Amino acid sequence: MHPVAPAIAAGEGAVTMPQSRRAFLGAVAGASAALVGLSCKGGPRIAGTFADDGGAAGHLIRDGATLAKPRERRRVPLVIVGGGIAGLSAAWWCERQGMRDFVVLELEAEAGGNARAGRNDIGAFPWGAHYVPVPGKRATLARALFEDLGVLRDGTWDERSLCYAPQERLFWRGRWHEGFESFLLDAPAGRAEWSRFSERLAELRAGGGFTVPLSIGAPASSPLDSVTFSDWLEREGFRSPALRWYADYACRDDYGTRAVDTSAWAGLHYFAAREHEELGPLTWPSGNGWIVERLLERVGDRVRTGAAVRRVTLSGSRAVVRTATAEYRADAVIWAAPIFLAAHMVQGFPSTADVTYAPWLVANCVLDRWPEDHGAPAAWDNTIVGSPGLGYVVSTHQQVARAGDRSVWTYYRSIPGVTPAAARRYLLRTPWHDWADLVLDDLEQAHPDIRSCVSRLDLRRYGHAMARPVPGFLDARWRRTLQSSRGPVWYGHADLGGISIFEEAQDRGVSAARKALDRLAGAYGASGA
Amino acid sequence: MPAALFATTLLIAACGLVYELVAGALASYLLGDSVTQFSTIIGAYLAAMGVGSWLSRFIGRGLVARFLAVELLVAVVGGFSSTVLFLAFAWTDAFRLALYAIVVVVGILVGLEIPLLMRILRERFEFKDVVASVLTFDYLGALLASLLFPLVLVPQLGLVRSALAFGLVNAAVALWGTWLFRAALGGTRALRVAGVAALALLAGGFVYGERITAAAERGLYADDVIFARTTPYQRIVLTVWKDDLRLFLNNHLQFSSRDEYRYHEALVHPGLAGLQGARRVLVLGGGDGLALREVLKYPGVAHVTLVDLDAGMTGLFRTHPRLVELNGGALSSPRVRVVNADAFSWLDTSQDRFDFVVVDFPDPSNYSVGKLYSTAFYRLLTRHLSRDARIVVQSTSPLFARASFWCVDRTLREAGLRTAPYHLYVPSFGEWGFVLASLGEPYAAPTQLPAGLRFLTASQLAPLFDFPLDMQPVPVLPNRLNDQVLVRYYEREWERINR
Ligand SMILES: Cc1cc2nc3c(=O)[nH]c(=O)nc-3n(C[C@H](O)[C@H](O)[C@H](O)COP(=O)(O)OP(=O)(O)OC[C@H]3O[C@@H](n4cnc5c(N)ncnc54)[C@H](O)[C@@H]3O)c2cc1C
Repeated sequence: MHPVAPAIAAGEGAVTMPQSRRAFLGAVAGASAALVGLSCKGGPRIAGTFADDGGAAGHLIRDGATLAKPRERRRVPLVIVGGGIAGLSAAWWCERQGMRDFVVLELEAEAGGNARAGRNDIGAFPWGAHYVPVPGKRATLARALFEDLGVLRDGTWDERSLCYAPQERLFWRGRWHEGFESFLLDAPAGRAEWSRFSERLAELRAGGGFTVPLSIGAPASSPLDSVTFSDWLEREGFRSPALRWYADYACRDDYGTRAVDTSAWAGLHYFAAREHEELGPLTWPSGNGWIVERLLERVGDRVRTGAAVRRVTLSGSRAVVRTATAEYRADAVIWAAPIFLAAHMVQGFPSTADVTYAPWLVANCVLDRWPEDHGAPAAWDNTIVGSPGLGYVVSTHQQVARAGDRSVWTYYRSIPGVTPAAARRYLLRTPWHDWADLVLDDLEQAHPDIRSCVSRLDLRRYGHAMARPVPGFLDARWRRTLQSSRGPVWYGHADLGGISIFEEAQDRGVSAARKALDRLAGAYGASGA
Repeated sequence: MPAALFATTLLIAACGLVYELVAGALASYLLGDSVTQFSTIIGAYLAAMGVGSWLSRFIGRGLVARFLAVELLVAVVGGFSSTVLFLAFAWTDAFRLALYAIVVVVGILVGLEIPLLMRILRERFEFKDVVASVLTFDYLGALLASLLFPLVLVPQLGLVRSALAFGLVNAAVALWGTWLFRAALGGTRALRVAGVAALALLAGGFVYGERITAAAERGLYADDVIFARTTPYQRIVLTVWKDDLRLFLNNHLQFSSRDEYRYHEALVHPGLAGLQGARRVLVLGGGDGLALREVLKYPGVAHVTLVDLDAGMTGLFRTHPRLVELNGGALSSPRVRVVNADAFSWLDTSQDRFDFVVVDFPDPSNYSVGKLYSTAFYRLLTRHLSRDARIVVQSTSPLFARASFWCVDRTLREAGLRTAPYHLYVPSFGEWGFVLASLGEPYAAPTQLPAGLRFLTASQLAPLFDFPLDMQPVPVLPNRLNDQVLVRYYEREWERINR
């Protein structure tokens, strides 16, 4: 029923002060501006904490030497180190091949790594990775997984796993606008430049080298990998501030690096690797945590959490994997933890990996009511132009139930600093309340009364979130060396692809699993099954 | 004497700022977009103060009397400003005009105050001290007001009474002035009478301030409001005028008791009457119990489950005597089970199957409701159907929102259902449409309807399924969760109508 009448609510007594009036009071009160402005600041207290294991990796390296005698000794054909997407995908693959005799060792209290999720009384929310673009025809491995999970059936994608409308909005000139395009086209030279950029991307795409994952056709090296993305844009005459902002945003969003530090090949990969996708990405309230949960349903009984691997030593054709309390003697080991740790922990690690890592911050904000909001309606992904952050994802957006007043927003910020090490120190040394203030200051640009809506704000810091795809990353020697490992330790982690995305982690994990299974088949085959 | 004078300055400064704050807060409250409202109001107010200051040069003789007269005027205009604005918002189309007229008048009067006061004091004190002290207390008054406003006035008194309270202060200051400056005044009688009258008027307003906001709400709805409540999901308002009872949710008309039987008979009977042996019925939405009333006319129906998000709605329609009379106590029937839950999530977790499903949601005017009109929703619903079951979906107006209507039809078909769309005329809504859908045989109209209907007859059914030229199908896309075309169609179509 319900024809639309002019929608206006008449007054009901008292009004609560909109926060934006702070600015106003200052302006109008003249001489006493400062005093008045200050008197209204503060607002309700916001609870929260660091919800991470920040710095745990550092401890591991330092304590590596002092290992007590193990309380438990086990023989197991395959040990997988790390229960992120890569490690769990390796396990998933083994399971599919009928090899169930493995153990996954995970440092943290829960598996998932960068794809972990959290949950509270409002619902689930991501702590990190939150979407997977709809995999193209050539991404057979990702498609196989999604078929297994019931997300892809007879060539159609499950509507409930596709991002609901509206998918994204952008805040500029004081209000939200649907999508990104209007912003890019709005600038004076924007339209011409954007269409030239799109043409250029179409050419690059047609070249076929920008694949997802990289292993199915990316070149071993490329001239585009010898310049930075900024230099490439400059050289090609792309100078409009809007396009430059977008390019920089894309690098920060995908790699945690600025366009001035990113390899042009990686920067272009973000744009050229995928067809314009009508369907929008696959996502769930818990982000890629949903995939983790599904994988754990299949292999979770063999995942040991709180089991930090300290050392992997070689003994003949076998490997010995040590945690603080246990020792595993394995025929094969898949290293699916970050590569920089392997350099400290794996005996005979074949190269010095000159890889640097981008630090990241994720904030989950619990909102007791929706804040002031102007322009296009709330979307799943909400980005503020000119912000030091990457915007926020509304976790309740992907629930089918009609949203109540409360929500959880997951706010993302990569910390590109002068050097990665300096940025990491800044990330880890800044106290919680300062980070909370920085996050809220950022959101305040678009939602003036955000501080009075948020009741809780928890932070997760990633000191070494992902390998940075700087120029030269494509043909970095260490990557090739690690990939051609002949065992008994095989390497499979997103770091190895150089680009930290779901498909890369999955591909690297599975390809390590394939090699390990080959070896095991050989070994068991020889012993006469 | 000096202390009293500076107290006066402080108080009138505070009053002046409060009126401005009230106007700004009210505008942003009623119109939204607080940044714009506040900045345009400050601008207009400050400019008007400039005009007032400039006008002060034309006041020659009788300075003190004029000053006190200005005070009284500000007291009345400023004091009643929010009352007038509330009423203007509810009863007229000229809210903005009233808003800026009041802001400008108050601004001019406040702009007159300080120059006049300075000139009065100049005759009594050293000029440099006058300037210094008057401005000091002026600014301090502003500080006082800006602190009181958010911390005390708005939370304790609300906007209407805050302005009135400061009007009272303003008028009291003027009265006190007739005593302070009695030496400089020719006669004080006229001013004192005016002062007392202003005080009385403002005090009256202050006492009845509550009722004024209620009157404003009545103005919005034209009829008498007999019930109004805000639940976590919506604002429910019931109005009556003579025998016409109307329900509004968030100011959208849901039904008028004069013709709702047309709507609800047409919603239920074309689908349910032909279903011999229908025992289990599901009603989604429809917390008013009116569709339920029609469903319960079938003795064969043994169980009805009604799922409505808002316990406030179902509670009201189970207990309010006038509403119980209207829905025949349907919500208390032993055959009925009421579930207060989101329909989508409830279907996700329930295992039940039904023979007939009534889908009566609000129109798809936003993405949140639009999810309940998606292929994913209808697919989920088909998993709850028995073999020969039917669904009927309220589908907005095929005349005013033609693409939206046919989009609902298209979406149901996309979800694998066979559809039979139909329409009827409901005077308070206009031309309205529904879509019947099923997994089984094509629809055939029933030959018999239950007894006691007021609108439908069996022979009338066939024409309902016939669409005149201006309501016939248009090419549309199905509505999917990830691409809610329906919400866009709907927005475009109703915007055109409302313009
Ligand atoms: C904030 C953020 C947002 C992201 N968003 C997206 C996104 O939306 N989409 C997308 O595709 N990608 C996203 N990514 C990239 C993400 O990194 C990859 O998609 C993927 O999750 C990486 O998986 P992985 O298994 O290779 O690595 P990790 O997730 O790093 O997994 C490594 C695991 O090893 C464990 N580990 C480490 N050391 C040890 C040890 N000594 N012993 C045992 N276990 C150990 C870790 O605890 C961890 O669980 C995001 C990354 C971050 C940081």
